[in-house]
Amino acid sequence: MTASATTCIATEGLTKRFPRVTALEDLTVTAGAGVTGLVGANGAGKSTLIKILLGLLPATSGRARVLDMDTATQGVEIRRVVGYMPEHDCLPPDVSATEFVVHMAQMSGLPRTAARERAADTLRHVGLYEERYRPIGGYSTGMRQRVKLAQALVHDPRLVFLDEPTNGLDPAGRDEMLALIRRIGAEFGISVLVTSHLLGELERVCDHVIVIDAGKLLRSSSIGEFTQATQVISVEVEDGLQPLADRLARVGEAVAVQGRTLTLQVPADADAGRAYDALRDAVCDLNLNLVRLEQRRGHIEDVFKEPAA
Amino acid sequence: MMPEPTGVIHDIGYRHYEGARLGRGSAFGALMLHSLRGVFGLGRAARAKIIPFILAGILLLPGVVSIAIMALVKQQGMGYSDYASIMQPVLAIFLAAQSPYLVAPDLRFRVLPLYLSRPVAVLDYLGAKLAALTIAMFLVLAVPLTLLFAGELLVDLPGPPHTAEYFSAMGGAVILAVLLAALGLALASFTPRRGLGVASVIAFYLFTSVVSIVFFGVFMSIGRDVAAKWAMLINPFFLVDSVQVALFGTDPSNGEGYPPGLWSCLFVLMAIVVALAGLFLRYRKAASS
Repeated sequence: MTASATTCIATEGLTKRFPRVTALEDLTVTAGAGVTGLVGANGAGKSTLIKILLGLLPATSGRARVLDMDTATQGVEIRRVVGYMPEHDCLPPDVSATEFVVHMAQMSGLPRTAARERAADTLRHVGLYEERYRPIGGYSTGMRQRVKLAQALVHDPRLVFLDEPTNGLDPAGRDEMLALIRRIGAEFGISVLVTSHLLGELERVCDHVIVIDAGKLLRSSSIGEFTQATQVISVEVEDGLQPLADRLARVGEAVAVQGRTLTLQVPADADAGRAYDALRDAVCDLNLNLVRLEQRRGHIEDVFKEPAA
Repeated sequence: MMPEPTGVIHDIGYRHYEGARLGRGSAFGALMLHSLRGVFGLGRAARAKIIPFILAGILLLPGVVSIAIMALVKQQGMGYSDYASIMQPVLAIFLAAQSPYLVAPDLRFRVLPLYLSRPVAVLDYLGAKLAALTIAMFLVLAVPLTLLFAGELLVDLPGPPHTAEYFSAMGGAVILAVLLAALGLALASFTPRRGLGVASVIAFYLFTSVVSIVFFGVFMSIGRDVAAKWAMLINPFFLVDSVQVALFGTDPSNGEGYPPGLWSCLFVLMAIVVALAGLFLRYRKAASS
């Protein structure tokens, strides 16, 4: 059974209809070990899929298996070895993070002493230190997200479902959360299914990305195939944006000036390094002050634009 | 010169958990204990301990005073079987103040999905909450009764000790605790706001006691004494007292007596079933959303 050993999640013709809306329609996807991103706009059916995978919601038709267990009949067994971080707030304000995470570990079946040890370890891993003894009510959004993540990891699950973990975080907080997710998949050896409505964000941490829209599968492929798509580099300089654009156009790059930023398109089959080199040389030769240089984050819309491979 | 470092902190990285994973029973026990501690404000801020301990203290007072009376005048003070009926406003306030704590925050702050994403079913959750509140209500009544009994034994009143009365009162306390816990949780669970939960439980108590007094008065004034006794049973505390009378043969604490027979037992069972059904339906809806 080599196939099942590496398959964490498998759905087959999964359909979920609510009285007034179809949340999932004939969804057939598989996800292996490592970090899998589930991308879709709000209301695409991501949270519904997670609830079905946890065995909390019955599917209208089709089947789903998690860690080779049937969601319809083995819900309790699945929930024993799976962690779940919901999208919404789920923390009581009047207890400390330590106490809450210990309690949640016990709810997963850990004995009290083991629960204490695991809670301390897990809170340290997610980056909560002294503040973990204070009531959760006084925490910032970033700290709350960490507590939510800690309660999903405290019982050392084999797979965690993270529903919009970067929601409400500032850019620095987002980066830290994404780095943490990468660590969970790589270092902790726990498989991750993480949802987001931003593809660009998941690109940085996922091994595999599944894109759904209105409950239908749009695309499911390894991250390598995604990065082969056209890259966009955006550049900002203090003065002399136009000379830079002219110079780059002369060496054959596809450039466009949008307000104060210049965007440079790198085709999928081209060598991105060459474009970066040309840009660096141009900025250097023109003696410009470079303010910003970044790979523009792809959005879910990019997937809609290009034909599914 | 820097001193030689004597200790080094190593980042040993992530460690997997290889230990025991207990079943649903242990999660049930842990949730029950957690909830029971919460009812008395243990493990929470000092503010949360004030009300439950003041109320539990008030419930102890008559027992303490009775012991003093027994020691001074060698006469029995307060009876065992009517302790609950006499202290009913305090018990009702305790129920109203503390039962919303068990259910409202989990609904309001949406902690419930975290429980349900673990090997804890809705019935386990409700069972643990109900057990915690039942034990709490039993404790606040059983501790004063036991104190009173211990006092009576120590003072060594003339005549035999009231052992049978003590045990019937404890039996009544169990029944009362189950009924009150079921009613309190069911009423409190319908609103995620704690204040409204408190208000609805206390309103329920006031409503039933006032209605029963009014009906009792009206029926007495037109000379229908039997109907008046039935009206007494609308008040849950007198309902349980009448069960105590019917099952253990204690003296009725309302001074009038109750309708004969085991009807009140049936009413208690029905009230518990209705409350639990309401609670279950409420949570079936909450769990699916």
